[in-house]
Amino acid sequence: MLEIKNLHAKVNRKSILKGINLTIKEGEIHAVMGKNGSGKSTLSNIVTGKEGYNVTNGDIKFKNKSILEWSPEKRSLNGIFMSFQYPVVMPGVNNTYFLKAAVNAKRKHDGEKELDAASFLRIIKEKLKELKMDASYLQRAVNDGFSGGEKKRNEILQMLTLEPKLAILDETDSGLDIDALKIISDGVNRSRSSKRSFLVITHYQRLLKYIEPDVVHVLIDGKIVKSGDKDLALKLEEKGYGWLEK
Amino acid sequence: MRDSNYQSEFEKILARDYFSSKFNPLRKNAFKQFLDNGLSNKYWDNLRFTNLSVLKKNIFRISEASDSPPENFKYPEPIIKEKYKIVFYNGHYQKNLTTLPDSIKILTNLEYYSDPAKKVLQPSNSPFDLLNTAFMDSGMCLIIEKNIEINNPILLIFINSGEDQLMISPRIHIDLGKSSSIHLFEHHLGFQTGNFSNVTTFLSLKENSFLKHIRLQMDSSQAINSGNIHIEQDQNSKYYLSHFGQGSNLGSISLNSNLNGKGAECHLNSLSLTNGHQHLDANVLINHISSHCTSSQNFKTVLKDSSSGVFNGKVVVNKNAQKTDSTQSNKNILLSKKAKMNSNPQLVINADDVKCSHGSSTGEIDPDALFYLRSRGINETTAKSILIHGFISEILDTVNNHDIKSFIKSNFDKWIEN
Repeated sequence: MLEIKNLHAKVNRKSILKGINLTIKEGEIHAVMGKNGSGKSTLSNIVTGKEGYNVTNGDIKFKNKSILEWSPEKRSLNGIFMSFQYPVVMPGVNNTYFLKAAVNAKRKHDGEKELDAASFLRIIKEKLKELKMDASYLQRAVNDGFSGGEKKRNEILQMLTLEPKLAILDETDSGLDIDALKIISDGVNRSRSSKRSFLVITHYQRLLKYIEPDVVHVLIDGKIVKSGDKDLALKLEEKGYGWLEK
Repeated sequence: MRDSNYQSEFEKILARDYFSSKFNPLRKNAFKQFLDNGLSNKYWDNLRFTNLSVLKKNIFRISEASDSPPENFKYPEPIIKEKYKIVFYNGHYQKNLTTLPDSIKILTNLEYYSDPAKKVLQPSNSPFDLLNTAFMDSGMCLIIEKNIEINNPILLIFINSGEDQLMISPRIHIDLGKSSSIHLFEHHLGFQTGNFSNVTTFLSLKENSFLKHIRLQMDSSQAINSGNIHIEQDQNSKYYLSHFGQGSNLGSISLNSNLNGKGAECHLNSLSLTNGHQHLDANVLINHISSHCTSSQNFKTVLKDSSSGVFNGKVVVNKNAQKTDSTQSNKNILLSKKAKMNSNPQLVINADDVKCSHGSSTGEIDPDALFYLRSRGINETTAKSILIHGFISEILDTVNNHDIKSFIKSNFDKWIEN
């Protein structure tokens, strides 16, 4: 599904990623753990196509095609999704309007008929229920006045609606209370399938209790220094990152 | 146009036998002030960033009786099938097209001043004000007695048309009686004309009255359009403005409000969209004179191409205006590297128990928001358009009349897509 090879990247001439190798197969959940500043968010931003990063070496392949030259919308339409660490507030942009535009862009790309307002609402209302979100959400502006938990739920709602092939969850657990964490993890777990892969980026092991990864990677100073199974996350929780640093 | 051209037009207006003994001394006084200070950006501080060269270069003549609508003139399909309307064509009042409820008294042209007790006001906040006093040649006064409530909007439409470049200087008075309420929809439309439309409006809001004022400026792309609005507000009166600037080559709106009575409220919302070499500016002066008054300013501009804009917003809180609550916000989006915006929010506070805030921001479309939308599969053009719609919706939403709102919206949608 996703193949990152020897990825080097700079931001403002400063090296952030120093040779990342990571392969995620169909249906797998990988977690990348690391401290602040280790390059976790840079990695997810580069995979989703955010501007401002200079890839100096290496490649990213998605379904065997190099995507480095693809626009963010092309990556999304082909099935890459990121749940933002800091979802953007957009006053005046209605949630329903935004989500419908996104869903229909995808349907158009896939050669399917665009949804009319009524069918869209039917689908979205079901997803809202799954995430225990109030229907008044539909009238509100995107993330405007949302609490931290509401913003993250909104990200997962978009994921459930867009049904990506690869979902990157960037620090989705930060700032969540235990109830919100459970609701979000349940949503993610229900959407697990043999066709869908996840890249879970997190600082803490907490989220991985609910979303069980197949592989855990440790990112330190722009490099993956260790990979293992889910027990590696527990070990990190217990011993911290110190034992893996030089 | 050069001073000599203004001078020759001024001689013509003096020669008109219409309240000349009452008006002419005032006209002369205003015209002298205009000539003394001219169109100097240095003298008029608010116009520091406004290019007034078209007012110097173009030659205008005053509107004559012959500038009335030709018999075959096709009025635009009633944009909104308003029940109540007042129509001006090149400054000429169109009696046959005007309909008003019985409870509103209208005095046309400058008949208002036939009452010897009525003083002719001579504001001097801008060269536009001075020119209006010097050249006032048309207009009307609406008198709404106390306790009258009119829910249908009253459409006040100014149509500018014809081949010649006319200087049109209407003077509008609206006297709103105690506890009365009206909705005014002022619409400026231009057809292939380079007119200089310079409307000065005096709004007098008596105790507990309510005026909702929508002003939509869609003058022609060669026109100069200036709206000079002066508001006097008594106790507990409320004034709400939703202003939309889209037309004209040089457009200016100036709003001067005196909050004279305790508890008065003045809420100003404005959205301007500029393109080409267009320049639109907004000048606000809110004077908190009494205590417990509220004022708000929410001004937005979206600028394309080589267009420019100015926001000068000033709030003055006088010594006795305790418990003043005032907010001021100016936000602008530049869609082109060549577009320019000058923003100048100011607060002068002379009382100690007040709540005042102001802020201003100008920049490109938020790149994070753009990336967020694109990361959801929405292409860049659509994403930009969604964000601009989001930006302007706050001001559009201040219009609660559904027909008027959708008319303005459909116009703006076209502007955004182009």
